[in-house]
Amino acid sequence: MTPVAECVAAFIFGTTVGLLVQRSRYCNVAALRDAMLFKTYRNTKAMLVAMMIMTLGFTAFITIGSGKPMHFDVGLNTFIGLFLFGIGMVLAGACTVSTWVKAGEGNLGAWWALLFTFVGMFLFSLLWSFVYWPPAPATMTGAPNVAGLQFGFANAATLQAKTGIPAIAFGLVQTVVLAAIYRAIVRRERQRSQANAAAGSAESTACDAWADPSGAAPQGAMARAADQGA
Amino acid sequence: MEFFQKTLDPIIALAAIAVLDIFLFLTVGAWTVGGGETMMTGLAAKLVMGDAVYRIPFWNFAFPPDPSYWKIYISLGMVFGAFLGAVLSKEFYWRMPHRVWEWVMITVGGLLMGIGIRLAFVCNVSTFFGLTPEMNLGGYLAVSGILAGAWVGTWIYKKTLED
Repeated sequence: MTPVAECVAAFIFGTTVGLLVQRSRYCNVAALRDAMLFKTYRNTKAMLVAMMIMTLGFTAFITIGSGKPMHFDVGLNTFIGLFLFGIGMVLAGACTVSTWVKAGEGNLGAWWALLFTFVGMFLFSLLWSFVYWPPAPATMTGAPNVAGLQFGFANAATLQAKTGIPAIAFGLVQTVVLAAIYRAIVRRERQRSQANAAAGSAESTACDAWADPSGAAPQGAMARAADQGA
Repeated sequence: MEFFQKTLDPIIALAAIAVLDIFLFLTVGAWTVGGGETMMTGLAAKLVMGDAVYRIPFWNFAFPPDPSYWKIYISLGMVFGAFLGAVLSKEFYWRMPHRVWEWVMITVGGLLMGIGIRLAFVCNVSTFFGLTPEMNLGGYLAVSGILAGAWVGTWIYKKTLED
Protein backbone atom coordinates (compact mmCIF):
# COMPACT_ATOMS: atom_id res chain seq x y z
CA MET A 1 0.00 0.00 0.00
CA THR A 2 1.23 3.49 -0.75
CA PRO A 3 1.54 5.96 2.16
CA VAL A 4 -1.42 7.95 0.76
CA ALA A 5 -3.60 4.82 0.59
CA GLU A 6 -2.59 3.95 4.18
CA CYS A 7 -3.61 7.42 5.35
CA VAL A 8 -6.94 7.23 3.48
CA ALA A 9 -7.69 3.77 4.96
CA ALA A 10 -6.81 5.08 8.44
CA PHE A 11 -9.04 8.15 7.99
CA ILE A 12 -12.03 6.06 6.81
CA PHE A 13 -11.53 3.68 9.74
CA GLY A 14 -11.21 6.59 12.20
CA THR A 15 -14.33 8.31 10.85
CA THR A 16 -16.39 5.12 11.21
CA VAL A 17 -15.06 4.57 14.72
CA GLY A 18 -15.79 8.18 15.70
CA LEU A 19 -19.35 7.87 14.42
CA LEU A 20 -20.00 4.52 16.14
CA VAL A 21 -18.48 5.62 19.45
CA GLN A 22 -20.40 8.91 19.38
CA ARG A 23 -23.71 7.18 18.68
CA SER A 24 -23.19 4.40 21.22
CA ARG A 25 -21.69 6.57 24.01
CA TYR A 26 -19.02 3.91 24.42
CA CYS A 27 -16.13 4.93 26.68
CA ASN A 28 -13.02 2.98 27.61
CA VAL A 29 -12.67 4.90 30.88
CA ALA A 30 -16.22 3.98 31.82
CA ALA A 31 -15.46 0.35 30.94
CA LEU A 32 -12.94 0.28 33.80
CA ARG A 33 -14.02 3.09 36.16
CA ASP A 34 -17.74 2.26 36.24
CA ALA A 35 -17.00 -1.42 36.83
CA MET A 36 -14.81 -0.49 39.81
CA LEU A 37 -16.81 2.42 41.22
CA PHE A 38 -20.45 1.76 40.37
CA LYS A 39 -20.38 -1.98 39.57
CA THR A 40 -22.05 -1.24 36.23
CA TYR A 41 -20.74 -3.02 33.15
CA ARG A 42 -22.41 -1.54 30.05
CA ASN A 43 -19.07 -0.55 28.48
CA THR A 44 -17.04 -3.41 29.98
CA LYS A 45 -19.22 -5.99 28.22
CA ALA A 46 -18.87 -4.19 24.87
CA MET A 47 -15.08 -4.09 25.28
CA LEU A 48 -14.97 -7.82 26.10
CA VAL A 49 -17.07 -8.71 23.03
CA ALA A 50 -14.74 -6.67 20.79
CA MET A 51 -11.69 -8.33 22.33
CA MET A 52 -13.15 -11.79 21.72
CA ILE A 53 -13.86 -11.03 18.04
CA MET A 54 -10.42 -9.48 17.52
CA THR A 55 -8.57 -12.28 19.32
CA LEU A 56 -10.18 -14.86 17.01
CA GLY A 57 -9.67 -12.71 13.89
CA PHE A 58 -6.08 -11.68 14.60
CA THR A 59 -4.86 -15.11 15.67
CA ALA A 60 -6.62 -16.79 12.70
CA PHE A 61 -4.74 -14.53 10.27
CA ILE A 62 -1.49 -14.80 12.26
CA THR A 63 -1.79 -18.60 11.90
CA ILE A 64 -1.55 -18.31 8.10
CA GLY A 65 1.13 -15.61 8.25
CA SER A 66 -1.15 -12.69 7.36
CA GLY A 67 -1.72 -9.38 9.09
CA LYS A 68 0.59 -6.76 10.50
CA PRO A 69 1.06 -7.31 14.24
CA MET A 70 2.76 -4.64 16.33
CA HIS A 71 6.43 -5.41 16.72
CA PHE A 72 8.44 -3.86 19.54
CA ASP A 73 10.04 -5.01 22.78
CA VAL A 74 8.11 -4.66 26.01
CA GLY A 75 9.34 -4.30 29.54
CA LEU A 76 8.81 -2.67 32.89
CA ASN A 77 8.12 0.59 31.06
CA THR A 78 4.97 -0.99 29.56
CA PHE A 79 3.51 -1.65 32.99
CA ILE A 80 4.57 1.69 34.53
CA GLY A 81 3.46 3.68 31.48
CA LEU A 82 -0.02 2.18 31.45
CA PHE A 83 -0.25 2.55 35.22
CA LEU A 84 0.30 6.31 34.83
CA PHE A 85 -2.05 6.34 31.86
CA GLY A 86 -4.75 4.54 33.88
CA ILE A 87 -4.62 7.17 36.64
CA GLY A 88 -4.60 9.96 34.05
CA MET A 89 -7.58 8.73 32.05
CA VAL A 90 -9.78 8.42 35.15
CA LEU A 91 -8.78 11.90 36.36
CA ALA A 92 -9.32 13.43 32.92
CA GLY A 93 -12.60 11.50 32.53
CA ALA A 94 -11.59 10.42 29.03
CA CYS A 95 -9.08 8.15 27.29
CA THR A 96 -7.44 8.47 23.88
CA VAL A 97 -10.69 7.54 22.11
CA SER A 98 -13.16 9.56 24.13
CA THR A 99 -11.00 12.71 24.11
CA TRP A 100 -11.18 12.81 20.29
CA VAL A 101 -14.88 11.86 20.25
CA LYS A 102 -15.87 14.38 22.94
CA ALA A 103 -13.75 17.00 21.18
CA GLY A 104 -15.80 16.33 18.03
CA GLU A 105 -19.00 16.86 20.04
CA GLY A 106 -17.81 20.33 21.08
CA ASN A 107 -16.44 19.56 24.53
CA LEU A 108 -13.75 22.16 25.37
CA GLY A 109 -12.57 20.07 28.34
CA ALA A 110 -11.66 17.29 25.89
CA TRP A 111 -9.63 19.74 23.75
CA TRP A 112 -7.85 20.83 26.93
CA ALA A 113 -7.12 17.17 27.83
CA LEU A 114 -5.71 16.61 24.32
CA LEU A 115 -3.52 19.70 24.61
CA PHE A 116 -2.04 18.47 27.89
CA THR A 117 -1.62 14.93 26.52
CA PHE A 118 0.57 16.50 23.83
CA VAL A 119 2.39 18.59 26.47
CA GLY A 120 2.99 15.41 28.50
CA MET A 121 4.39 13.67 25.43
CA PHE A 122 6.71 16.59 24.68
CA LEU A 123 7.92 16.71 28.31
CA PHE A 124 8.64 12.99 28.16
CA SER A 125 10.54 13.47 24.87
CA LEU A 126 12.85 15.90 26.74
CA LEU A 127 13.35 13.45 29.60
CA TRP A 128 14.01 10.56 27.19
CA SER A 129 16.67 12.64 25.45
CA PHE A 130 18.66 12.57 28.73
CA VAL A 131 18.03 9.03 29.98
CA TYR A 132 17.48 7.14 26.68
CA TRP A 133 15.04 4.80 28.43
CA PRO A 134 13.06 2.88 27.41
CA PRO A 135 15.24 1.84 24.45
CA ALA A 136 14.32 3.35 21.07
CA PRO A 137 12.50 0.97 18.69
CA ALA A 138 15.49 1.01 16.31
CA THR A 139 17.72 -0.55 18.98
CA MET A 140 15.29 -3.31 20.00
CA THR A 141 16.41 -6.88 19.36
CA GLY A 142 13.38 -8.93 20.44
CA ALA A 143 15.47 -10.68 23.11
CA PRO A 144 15.27 -9.99 26.85
CA ASN A 145 17.54 -7.12 27.94
CA VAL A 146 18.09 -7.09 31.70
CA ALA A 147 20.05 -3.82 31.73
CA GLY A 148 17.26 -2.05 29.83
CA LEU A 149 14.54 -3.76 31.95
CA GLN A 150 13.13 -5.27 28.74
CA PHE A 151 11.45 -8.66 28.47
CA GLY A 152 11.79 -8.82 24.67
CA PHE A 153 9.08 -9.61 22.13
CA ALA A 154 6.50 -12.40 22.17
CA ASN A 155 3.08 -12.76 20.56
CA ALA A 156 0.82 -15.41 18.99
CA ALA A 157 3.21 -15.77 16.03
CA THR A 158 6.25 -16.48 18.23
CA LEU A 159 4.16 -18.94 20.28
CA GLN A 160 3.25 -20.75 17.05
CA ALA A 161 6.87 -20.77 15.88
CA LYS A 162 8.18 -22.09 19.21
CA THR A 163 5.53 -24.73 19.95
CA GLY A 164 4.34 -25.73 16.48
CA ILE A 165 0.75 -25.25 17.72
CA PRO A 166 -1.31 -22.97 15.44
CA ALA A 167 -1.78 -19.45 16.84
CA ILE A 168 -5.56 -19.79 16.53
CA ALA A 169 -5.46 -22.50 19.26
CA PHE A 170 -3.98 -19.99 21.70
CA GLY A 171 -6.51 -17.46 20.45
CA LEU A 172 -9.35 -19.85 21.26
CA VAL A 173 -8.05 -20.30 24.81
CA GLN A 174 -7.89 -16.51 25.31
CA THR A 175 -11.41 -16.14 23.85
CA VAL A 176 -12.76 -18.73 26.28
CA VAL A 177 -11.18 -16.82 29.19
CA LEU A 178 -12.71 -13.52 27.97
CA ALA A 179 -16.09 -15.27 27.51
CA ALA A 180 -15.89 -16.61 31.07
CA ILE A 181 -15.32 -13.06 32.39
CA TYR A 182 -18.28 -11.84 30.30
CA ARG A 183 -20.49 -14.64 31.66
CA ALA A 184 -19.49 -13.85 35.26
CA ILE A 185 -20.44 -10.19 34.70
CA VAL A 186 -23.84 -11.11 33.22
CA ARG A 187 -24.51 -13.46 36.13
CA ARG A 188 -23.57 -10.73 38.62
CA GLU A 189 -25.84 -8.21 36.87
CA ARG A 190 -28.73 -10.68 36.97
CA GLN A 191 -28.24 -11.32 40.70
CA ARG A 192 -28.06 -7.59 41.34
CA SER A 193 -31.21 -6.80 39.37
CA GLN A 194 -33.07 -9.58 41.20
CA ALA A 195 -31.91 -8.18 44.55
CA ASN A 196 -32.90 -4.66 43.49
CA ALA A 197 -36.30 -5.85 42.31
CA ALA A 198 -36.90 -7.60 45.63
CA ALA A 199 -35.80 -4.50 47.58
CA GLY A 200 -37.89 -2.26 45.32
CA SER A 201 -40.98 -4.33 45.84
CA ALA A 202 -40.52 -4.22 49.64
CA GLU A 203 -39.93 -0.45 49.56
CA SER A 204 -42.89 0.26 47.28
CA THR A 205 -45.15 -1.54 49.72
CA ALA A 206 -43.86 0.72 52.49
CA CYS A 207 -43.86 4.01 50.62
CA ASP A 208 -44.36 4.24 46.84
CA ALA A 209 -43.32 7.89 46.65
CA TRP A 210 -39.77 7.33 47.94
CA ALA A 211 -38.93 3.96 46.40
CA ASP A 212 -36.02 3.96 43.92
CA PRO A 213 -35.70 0.33 42.86
CA SER A 214 -33.04 0.99 40.21
CA GLY A 215 -30.74 2.84 42.60
CA ALA A 216 -29.93 5.00 39.57
CA ALA A 217 -30.16 8.45 41.14
CA PRO A 218 -26.76 8.73 42.86
CA GLN A 219 -25.09 6.88 40.05
CA GLY A 220 -26.60 9.23 37.48
CA ALA A 221 -25.45 12.26 39.44
CA MET A 222 -21.89 10.92 39.62
CA ALA A 223 -21.96 9.95 35.96
CA ARG A 224 -23.12 13.46 35.02
CA ALA A 225 -20.24 14.92 37.01
CA ALA A 226 -17.88 12.60 35.15
CA ASP A 227 -19.37 13.61 31.81
CA GLN A 228 -18.87 17.27 32.63
CA GLY A 229 -15.29 16.40 33.57
CA ALA A 230 -14.19 16.02 29.95
CA MET B 1 -32.85 8.44 10.23
CA GLU B 2 -33.19 6.17 13.28
CA PHE B 3 -29.43 5.73 13.61
CA PHE B 4 -29.13 9.40 14.59
CA GLN B 5 -32.16 9.44 16.88
CA LYS B 6 -31.47 6.54 19.23
CA THR B 7 -28.39 5.55 21.22
CA LEU B 8 -26.68 2.57 19.60
CA ASP B 9 -26.06 -0.53 21.72
CA PRO B 10 -22.31 -0.33 22.56
CA ILE B 11 -21.97 -4.09 22.05
CA ILE B 12 -23.14 -3.72 18.42
CA ALA B 13 -20.89 -0.67 17.93
CA LEU B 14 -17.82 -2.37 19.37
CA ALA B 15 -18.48 -5.61 17.47
CA ALA B 16 -18.57 -3.58 14.22
CA ILE B 17 -15.36 -1.76 15.22
CA ALA B 18 -13.71 -5.13 15.99
CA VAL B 19 -14.52 -6.46 12.50
CA LEU B 20 -13.21 -3.26 10.90
CA ASP B 21 -10.09 -3.46 13.08
CA ILE B 22 -9.40 -6.94 11.65
CA PHE B 23 -9.45 -5.43 8.14
CA LEU B 24 -7.15 -2.64 9.32
CA PHE B 25 -4.85 -5.26 10.90
CA LEU B 26 -4.61 -6.96 7.48
CA THR B 27 -3.86 -3.77 5.57
CA VAL B 28 -1.82 -1.34 7.72
CA GLY B 29 -1.89 -2.57 11.33
CA ALA B 30 -4.27 -2.73 14.29
CA TRP B 31 -6.09 0.34 15.67
CA THR B 32 -3.91 2.60 17.77
CA VAL B 33 -4.12 6.24 18.85
CA GLY B 34 -1.00 7.02 20.92
CA GLY B 35 1.41 6.76 17.98
CA GLY B 36 -0.60 9.26 15.95
CA GLU B 37 -0.79 11.63 18.91
CA THR B 38 2.99 11.42 19.38
CA MET B 39 3.52 12.25 15.72
CA MET B 40 1.14 15.22 16.03
CA THR B 41 3.16 16.41 19.04
CA GLY B 42 6.34 16.16 16.96
CA LEU B 43 4.76 18.02 14.05
CA ALA B 44 3.47 20.74 16.39
CA ALA B 45 6.92 21.04 17.97
CA LYS B 46 8.47 21.32 14.50
CA LEU B 47 5.96 24.02 13.57
CA VAL B 48 6.93 26.05 16.65
CA MET B 49 10.65 25.28 16.85
CA GLY B 50 11.52 24.68 13.20
CA ASP B 51 14.55 22.45 12.55
CA ALA B 52 15.71 23.06 16.15
CA VAL B 53 13.35 20.22 17.10
CA TYR B 54 15.90 17.77 15.66
CA ARG B 55 18.36 18.87 18.36
CA ILE B 56 16.15 16.96 20.78
CA PRO B 57 17.35 13.36 20.33
CA PHE B 58 13.87 11.87 20.79
CA TRP B 59 12.56 13.68 17.70
CA ASN B 60 15.73 12.96 15.75
CA PHE B 61 16.26 9.26 16.48
CA ALA B 62 13.14 7.76 18.07
CA PHE B 63 10.25 9.59 16.39
CA PRO B 64 11.18 11.94 13.50
CA PRO B 65 8.11 14.08 12.65
CA ASP B 66 6.43 12.81 9.46
CA PRO B 67 3.02 14.05 8.24
CA SER B 68 2.49 10.90 6.13
CA TYR B 69 2.37 8.70 9.25
CA TRP B 70 -0.95 6.84 8.82
CA LYS B 71 -1.81 6.68 12.55
CA ILE B 72 -2.37 10.47 12.64
CA TYR B 73 -5.33 10.05 10.30
CA ILE B 74 -7.14 7.62 12.61
CA SER B 75 -7.37 10.37 15.24
CA LEU B 76 -8.39 13.00 12.68
CA GLY B 77 -11.01 10.58 11.36
CA MET B 78 -12.34 9.98 14.88
CA VAL B 79 -12.85 13.68 15.61
CA PHE B 80 -14.50 14.12 12.17
CA GLY B 81 -16.75 11.06 12.60
CA ALA B 82 -17.80 12.19 16.08
CA PHE B 83 -18.50 15.72 14.77
CA LEU B 84 -20.60 14.24 11.97
CA GLY B 85 -22.52 12.02 14.39
CA ALA B 86 -23.08 14.87 16.85
CA VAL B 87 -24.29 17.31 14.16
CA LEU B 88 -26.61 14.81 12.45
CA SER B 89 -28.11 13.74 15.77
CA LYS B 90 -28.39 17.39 16.92
CA GLU B 91 -26.08 16.66 19.87
CA PHE B 92 -23.33 19.09 18.93
CA TYR B 93 -22.97 22.06 21.23
CA TRP B 94 -20.08 23.82 22.91
CA ARG B 95 -19.73 22.69 26.51
CA MET B 96 -17.07 23.05 29.14
CA PRO B 97 -16.37 22.02 32.74
CA HIS B 98 -17.53 24.69 35.20
CA ARG B 99 -15.52 23.95 38.32
CA VAL B 100 -11.83 24.71 38.87
CA TRP B 101 -11.12 21.23 40.27
CA GLU B 102 -12.42 19.70 37.05
CA TRP B 103 -9.93 21.73 34.97
CA VAL B 104 -7.15 20.70 37.38
CA MET B 105 -8.09 17.02 37.09
CA ILE B 106 -8.24 17.23 33.28
CA THR B 107 -4.84 18.98 33.14
CA VAL B 108 -3.13 16.46 35.44
CA GLY B 109 -4.93 13.57 33.73
CA GLY B 110 -3.90 14.75 30.26
CA LEU B 111 -0.25 15.14 31.33
CA LEU B 112 -0.21 11.65 32.88
CA MET B 113 -1.78 10.14 29.76
CA GLY B 114 0.83 11.78 27.52
CA ILE B 115 3.77 10.71 29.71
CA GLY B 116 2.32 7.21 30.13
CA ILE B 117 1.83 6.66 26.39
CA ARG B 118 5.41 7.64 25.58
CA LEU B 119 6.86 5.63 28.43
CA ALA B 120 4.98 2.47 27.45
CA PHE B 121 4.95 3.00 23.63
CA VAL B 122 1.26 2.10 23.79
CA CYS B 123 -2.07 3.63 24.82
CA ASN B 124 -5.28 2.03 26.07
CA VAL B 125 -6.48 1.41 22.50
CA SER B 126 -3.34 -0.52 21.52
CA THR B 127 -3.64 -2.39 24.81
CA PHE B 128 -7.20 -3.63 24.40
CA PHE B 129 -7.65 -3.50 20.61
CA GLY B 130 -4.18 -4.43 19.36
CA LEU B 131 -1.62 -6.01 21.65
CA THR B 132 -3.88 -8.24 23.76
CA PRO B 133 -5.85 -9.70 20.80
CA GLU B 134 -2.46 -10.33 19.12
CA MET B 135 -1.51 -12.15 22.36
CA ASN B 136 1.51 -9.89 22.69
CA LEU B 137 3.30 -10.11 26.05
CA GLY B 138 3.06 -6.31 26.21
CA GLY B 139 -0.74 -6.58 26.13
CA TYR B 140 -0.83 -8.47 29.41
CA LEU B 141 1.69 -6.11 31.04
CA ALA B 142 -0.30 -3.12 29.78
CA VAL B 143 -3.66 -4.54 30.95
CA SER B 144 -2.17 -5.15 34.43
CA GLY B 145 -0.78 -1.60 34.49
CA ILE B 146 -3.96 0.11 33.28
CA LEU B 147 -6.17 -1.85 35.72
CA ALA B 148 -3.92 -0.89 38.63
CA GLY B 149 -3.78 2.73 37.42
CA ALA B 150 -7.55 2.92 36.87
CA TRP B 151 -8.06 1.58 40.41
CA VAL B 152 -5.80 4.29 41.89
CA GLY B 153 -7.40 6.93 39.64
CA THR B 154 -10.88 5.80 40.69
CA TRP B 155 -9.87 6.05 44.36
CA ILE B 156 -8.60 9.63 43.83
CA TYR B 157 -11.71 10.50 41.81
CA LYS B 158 -13.99 9.12 44.53
CA LYS B 159 -12.14 11.04 47.25
CA THR B 160 -12.41 14.25 45.17
CA LEU B 161 -16.15 13.78 44.70
CA GLU B 162 -16.61 13.14 48.42
CA ASP B 163 -14.68 16.27 49.51
